[in-house]
Parts: sequence; C-alpha cells; structure tokens
Amino acid sequence: MRTRLIIAFIVVALLSALASAWTFNAIHVWYQSAFPSWLSDVIQGPWRWGEPRPLRSGPFGPPTPAYARPPTPAAALAFFLAAVGLLLAVIAGVAVAASRRVLLPVRRLARAARHMSGGDLSVRVEPRGRDELSQLVTSFNAMAASLQDKVGELERMEARARQFAGDVSHELRTPLTAMTAVADILPGHPGLTGDAAAAAGLVRQEIFHLNRLVEDLIEISRFDARTAQLVTDDTDVATAVSGCLRARGWTDVSTDVPAGLTVRLDRRRFDLIIANLVGNALQHGGPPVTVTARAEPHGRGSGQLAVEVRDHGPGLPEAAIAHVFDRFYKADTARARSEGSGLGLAIASENARLHGGHIEGGNHPGGGAVFTVTLPRGSHPSMSGMVAQAVSAGL
Amino acid sequence: MTTVLLVEDDPGARQGLELALRRLGYQVRPAETGEAALEGIGQDAVDVVVLDVMLPGLDGFEVCRRLRRGSDAPVIMLTARGDDFDIVGGLEAGADDYVVKPVEPRVLDARIRAVLRRLARAGSPAETHGELVIDRGSLTVTLRGREISLTPTELRLLLVLSGSPRQVFSRQQLLDLVWEHDYLGDSRLVDACVQRLRAKIETDSSEPRYIQTVRGFGYRFGPV
Repeated sequence: MRTRLIIAFIVVALLSALASAWTFNAIHVWYQSAFPSWLSDVIQGPWRWGEPRPLRSGPFGPPTPAYARPPTPAAALAFFLAAVGLLLAVIAGVAVAASRRVLLPVRRLARAARHMSGGDLSVRVEPRGRDELSQLVTSFNAMAASLQDKVGELERMEARARQFAGDVSHELRTPLTAMTAVADILPGHPGLTGDAAAAAGLVRQEIFHLNRLVEDLIEISRFDARTAQLVTDDTDVATAVSGCLRARGWTDVSTDVPAGLTVRLDRRRFDLIIANLVGNALQHGGPPVTVTARAEPHGRGSGQLAVEVRDHGPGLPEAAIAHVFDRFYKADTARARSEGSGLGLAIASENARLHGGHIEGGNHPGGGAVFTVTLPRGSHPSMSGMVAQAVSAGL
Repeated sequence: MTTVLLVEDDPGARQGLELALRRLGYQVRPAETGEAALEGIGQDAVDVVVLDVMLPGLDGFEVCRRLRRGSDAPVIMLTARGDDFDIVGGLEAGADDYVVKPVEPRVLDARIRAVLRRLARAGSPAETHGELVIDRGSLTVTLRGREISLTPTELRLLLVLSGSPRQVFSRQQLLDLVWEHDYLGDSRLVDACVQRLRAKIETDSSEPRYIQTVRGFGYRFGPV
C-alpha cells in the first residue's frame, strides 16, 4: 500500500516536471528578450551557457570565458543525473512524509483492532489532528468503549447467575445436613406402620437423591467458577479402576487394564469420571459393560491414557450423540427421571478437561455405546496451586 | 463413653447431628459458637471435636488454632463447601480430618472412631532415633529429654513411619494405615499432618531429619 502510494507520487511528480520543462521551452524565446541576459542564462541552464553568443563572440571579440565554453558530454550527463537524483530524493521524501501522515494512524488502528479481536477490549487509539482519520479514530474508540461496557455487563450477569447457582446449592446443604443425619432413624422405626412406614422410606430415599443432586450442582458450579483444582498423585490405573468398581458394588463389570500402568492424575476426579461413565452404561446401556485402558504414544510427550467404557445395549440414538454431555440432557424423554442427577456425564467431561484431556461418546461398530476418556500422561496444563503448595511443602 | 464437642451454628444441623451421634452411642456437648466451644473444652474432658467451618464470630479455622494450643483432642472439620479452600485452611489450622456436609452418620462415626483409635501398647523397650525417643509401651515421645505433646493422629503417623525405619510409605498407604480412609482418601491430610509433626520434632522443618520426603512417592522415617 505504502510502496504503491510512493511510486504513484513519483510518477506524477516526474510527469509534472516534464510538463513544466516543455512549458519553459515554449516560452523561453519570450523571456530571453524580456529578462536581462544573465538571468535567462541561469534559467536556461548550461546548454545555453555553452552556446557562443552572437553579440560577444567573434574573431575579434575577447577570448571565450571558461563558463561560456560548451560543456563536455560527461559533465552534461553528470549534471543531468544529479538533477534527476535530487528531484527523486525530494519527491521521495515528500511522499514518505505524506504517506506516514496518512498511514500511521491507519496502522495504529489496525493494531488496535487486532488487539481487540484478541480479547483485549480496553485498547484505545490516541486521536491526532483534526482530519477524517482522527474522526475515524474517535469513532473506533467510542465503539471499543461501548463494546467493553456491553461485554463487561454480560460477564457480570453471567457471574451473578453462576454465583447464584453455587450459593443456592451451598444453602441447600445446611438443611440437608440435618435431614441426612436423621434420615436413617425413619425406616424400620417401630412407631411407623403401613402408609407411614412407606412414606418414611420414600422420604429417606429422596433425601439421598437430593443430596446427590446438590453435590453434583456444587461440583459443576466449581467448574463454572473455575475454582476446580487438581490434586494429582502417581496413580496405578488398574487399582484405581478396580477400586472404583468395588466401592460401588459393580461386580459384573469386566475390566481389561494392563498391570503397572501408572499415570499422574487426580484420583478423586478420575474415580468420578469412571464411576459416572460406568454408572451411565449400567443404567442406560445393556450388559455386559467393559472398561478397557491402554497407554497410547502421542506426539513428543509421554503419551496418553485412553480408557474405554463400553456397553452392549442399543447404543446412543444418532441425535443424542452431540448432546450426551449437556447438563440435564435425557436421550430417552419417556424416562422422566433417572437415578442420577442428570449431571454425571457433564461432570465427567469437565473433569477430563481439567486434566487436559477429553471424553468422546459414540457407538461401537459391534453394537452398544462406547465412551472414550483420553488423558495426558505427563504434566497437566491446569495443574493447581494446591499441587504447587504440596511441591513446596516437600512432596 | 466418648464425648463429642459438636460446634455448629445452624440449629437444624446441630440438632440433627446431635440426635444421630447420640443414637450411635456418643455423649454430645453441643456448642453454637466458636467462643462457646473454647469455653466448653476448658471445663471437662472432650474426646473429639466436630467443628463447623462457617461460624459467626470466630470461624472454624481460628477455633481450631486456639483449641490446638491447649488440647490434643482430635478435630474433625465439618466443611459446608467441600471446597479446597476450606479443606486446606482447616488442615493448616490443625484439623485431623474433615467431612463434607451433608454427612451420613455412619461416615462421621467411622471418622470419629479412626481419629480416636489408640494403637495397641507394645511391650517392647523404648526406641532411640537420634535425639528422639519413642516409647511404644507408654505411647510417649521425647525429644532431647522433653516429652512432646502429639495429637492421636500425629502419634499414629509417627508410630507407623518409625515402626519400619527407611521404608517408604505412599500417601495412600498412610491414609489407609493412619486415617483408615477408603481407597479414595485425600492425600493432603497426610501432607498437613507431616507438616505439623515436623514442626514438633524436627530442628529444621525444611531439612527434615526424621520424617523425610521421597519425592513423587511419599514419606519415610530416617535414616537418622
């Protein structure tokens, strides 16, 4: 852009120089008589100086002075080149100055726009002068300011909504503490018979369901507030998987995990991931459910851990695959409420992401749904301050 | 009968937990505020403190810190959030263990039993490790001739580690042996307890002589 402008400037300047030279030639006959001879000599240049003058030269006149001798062709060429060079330099200088004046604000605007699209809405450009460009800069600043206001407002609203969801869940915990503490007293109490006993049983069951829901809501609100942190340990995957299944009494799930496969991960979160995937498979898929883990080489790092949870049920409906990780998503709308909170897969996915990994859901070619968790084996990008503390504490 | 000092400001939660603990065979001394709890612990013997984090006035962390100055009764924090901030804060203040609200009575019962469990007294003579003397018969620890006051958890951790000098224990192993947690214990409990124990027995906690860190794996006792 800038180079083109300079070239155009030079071409125009050269053309105008040429035009003015022609004009001079056309009128020089006139001014030769109108001006004193020394002035017309200067105006006409060395070619005229070199010509013998009809009035003064002659066989009887004084000897021709040095300035009146015709110049050598080399001197004439040098003079010509020097003049052209000087002209070009002046023109280029003027062109650069002019282009800077026009282009600098444009460039600053471009840089500011780049910063803005990079997410920095606080960027502003200082307006200079009173031309159209400075008006553009002023409008740009006004746009940036209003955008920043709007985005800030949206962020505040979102933060308030998240805070609210988190606060509500926390507040629910206190009454739930009292209810959970006494829930075990109700069933089998000799004073309760018939309908009262059935009602007591139902109340107890629902208290535990509500507990689970609140727990999951709080868990997910921590991800939303970005306060979820990893507490990592070198973990034997086979032990973690079998421990997860045993703790929940899932004896009919078969596993295929190589012995001695150790990965640095957050045990509690890994346990949650596996439990939520297996729980989902047992509830919505069909038996048998299998858990397979393997180490995969990946890039230059220390590779990945891939854990596959597969069931042999009807598989996921095509329309559900894109939504299985959505909160409270239910593939089967006929089932009004399941045992879980409806947040299990969303939480599993968030936990995998916190480790720097991800979960994919789909259908196995051999039938049934399959969920694959991929976690990096090495360092974790979102490693927590807690771990840093543990490191500084000497572990 | 085991006496539990229950510090909880919410009346519903306090009554519910009191009822549940009574049914489990504990004697319960409820306290509404941290100030009341600190007064109460001075009066007569309390075996274990169940302490809510969110309290009006003195918060749970501060109550725990002050309790620790005059008492070795184990403290179980009752965290309303289960957030890492509460857990880490509670452990730094000297809590032995924590449970997340709402807690099932059987879980709280198991935790209380674990922090109170006394190791069987052994008939073996006192062992000397450098300037540290560990007597498994009287369950006392002396450093340079002076007896050191340890909470039951700290004592158990020291006895387990020193029971097999130079053997490396992973944090999960220690959780199992000392805290009796299931396979999913929080390894920060171990780190916090090691820090407290080091503060009591090491000359320089940053260069521990007795309880040494085996980077990336766990802890070991010695070699002194």
